[in-house]
Amino acid sequence: MDAPPIQVRGLGKRYGAVVALKDLSLDVAAGEVFGFLGPNGAGKTTTIRLLLGLIRPDGGEVKVLGRVPFGRGTASRADIGYLPGDMAFWPRLSGAETLDFFAELTGRPPAARERLLARLGLGAAELGRHVRTYSDGMKQKLGLVQALQCEPRLVLLDEPTKGLDPLVQQGFYEIVADLRSAGATVFLSSHVLPEVERVCDRVAMLRSGAVVSLGDVEALRRAERRRVIADFGADVDTAALGHFGDVTVARPRHAELLVAQADLPALVARLGMLPLVDVVVERPTLEEAFLEHYR
Amino acid sequence: MTSQVALLGHHARLHRAALVPLALGLALFEWMMTFVAGQPAVSRFLSEALRAAPPQFLAVLNQDLLVGVSARGIVGVGYAHPFALIMMAVWAVRVPCAALAGEIGRGTMDLVAARPVTRSSQVGAAAVALLTGLGALAAAAWLGTAVGLTMRPVEGVSALRYLPVAAALWLVFACFGAVAILVSALSREAGTAIAWISGLLAGSYVLDYVARVWPRMASLRPASLFRYYEPQQVVEAGLARHDVAVLAAVGAAALLVAFAVFARRDL
Repeated sequence: MDAPPIQVRGLGKRYGAVVALKDLSLDVAAGEVFGFLGPNGAGKTTTIRLLLGLIRPDGGEVKVLGRVPFGRGTASRADIGYLPGDMAFWPRLSGAETLDFFAELTGRPPAARERLLARLGLGAAELGRHVRTYSDGMKQKLGLVQALQCEPRLVLLDEPTKGLDPLVQQGFYEIVADLRSAGATVFLSSHVLPEVERVCDRVAMLRSGAVVSLGDVEALRRAERRRVIADFGADVDTAALGHFGDVTVARPRHAELLVAQADLPALVARLGMLPLVDVVVERPTLEEAFLEHYR
Repeated sequence: MTSQVALLGHHARLHRAALVPLALGLALFEWMMTFVAGQPAVSRFLSEALRAAPPQFLAVLNQDLLVGVSARGIVGVGYAHPFALIMMAVWAVRVPCAALAGEIGRGTMDLVAARPVTRSSQVGAAAVALLTGLGALAAAAWLGTAVGLTMRPVEGVSALRYLPVAAALWLVFACFGAVAILVSALSREAGTAIAWISGLLAGSYVLDYVARVWPRMASLRPASLFRYYEPQQVVEAGLARHDVAVLAAVGAAALLVAFAVFARRDL
């Protein structure tokens, strides 16, 4: 069996006294769409830059497509597509010149360019213009095309839908689905949790340079507590339900609780003994799971 | 190799707009100097005016032979004049600073370095763009001289005498450019790199000037790279081996350190 396209063991990076990343370990399997979540400064971009060999790790090991990225591991980069978080191009080059330059550097024909341009709605007239005339959204589209035009096996995307309107975002999700079906591996950092929930197979949550949670999206949600909302026909001592979990809202005829999945049967049995009118058990969204970790 | 060619094409796209006016400016200036040298009345006037000028002024032009040599010396002034030096300096600063520190500061370095491009090929492409552009500028300067002397021949002045002068002009700025590549390889912003290398150029020029006009400072002159660029002596005696060796050695050392530094640094 082939080694995973991304293998990271005990990876660390410091900027002076600031610890940007500590003891990060993860594997990303071939064909997987992997989400990388975390607040600003958590170390997401540092991780991506380490994977690309743009910066040197202070500790640990990293292998991307079987090669150590820093130093002589440049050959494997022909198989990597990269979209940075802050898009910057040369203002006096046209969009077409920019794409041609990146294809030339990659050393492979831009086989997917036309398809991507059509899907993202970037026309020939726009490509002929200088990049300095582009809006942020157009630059982001150009960034996506340069990252994917040579059909890479591994795609590293840092905040890929930043600045894209909802229609183009939809196009982006379709592109990720195409990449998945073509067997490409996608490593995606994002703040847009519904987006991660929608496109990713697995997610790592990063906090202060360390992974606080790693698993598939469904398992992460399952591990989080359920929100239980109960309405009663008569006044009850809702605060007493705190025995089953955290009571977030306690009124005489209305209660909201966060309850672990294992405690749900006991809570439902207790609620059945009360003058219950309605009960709703909500599965947590990834956003709630995320917030649980960062509160 | 493919990426090296792509990077060179990229430098050409980014800097071609600057190369044309610089080359035209240099060619026109040197052509103008031949025009001045070809006017006996003008060169006589200049000769007499300069004979009366204080030595400090002659030192600015790096011009000890002008008064006696007249026409040949006047053409030679074109290669030591601050205008010609500034034209060359613009390229020697612009290309290295834009290539490495400029790309990092703008944020485009990440996109380039994420491709199958080695760090050394990035430094190498910057060096080739620097040296080729300087070559074009030095050639334009000499062409200005050659065309001027062909259009209006001046007795005793041959364009071929200025070929080694143009080579020396290329070499001194190639050396400064190599130092600029090193500074750029160490910097994160083009502005910082430009400030450092411009300061170094100006400091080197001032040191050379001060050391020539103030005997107490004469011993410091070898510390200036301009000490190794003596156009009037090159006109008379050809390239001095010692000067060529010093400039080539400093340039090569700066480039080697730039390769090593850039290969190991965080981008």
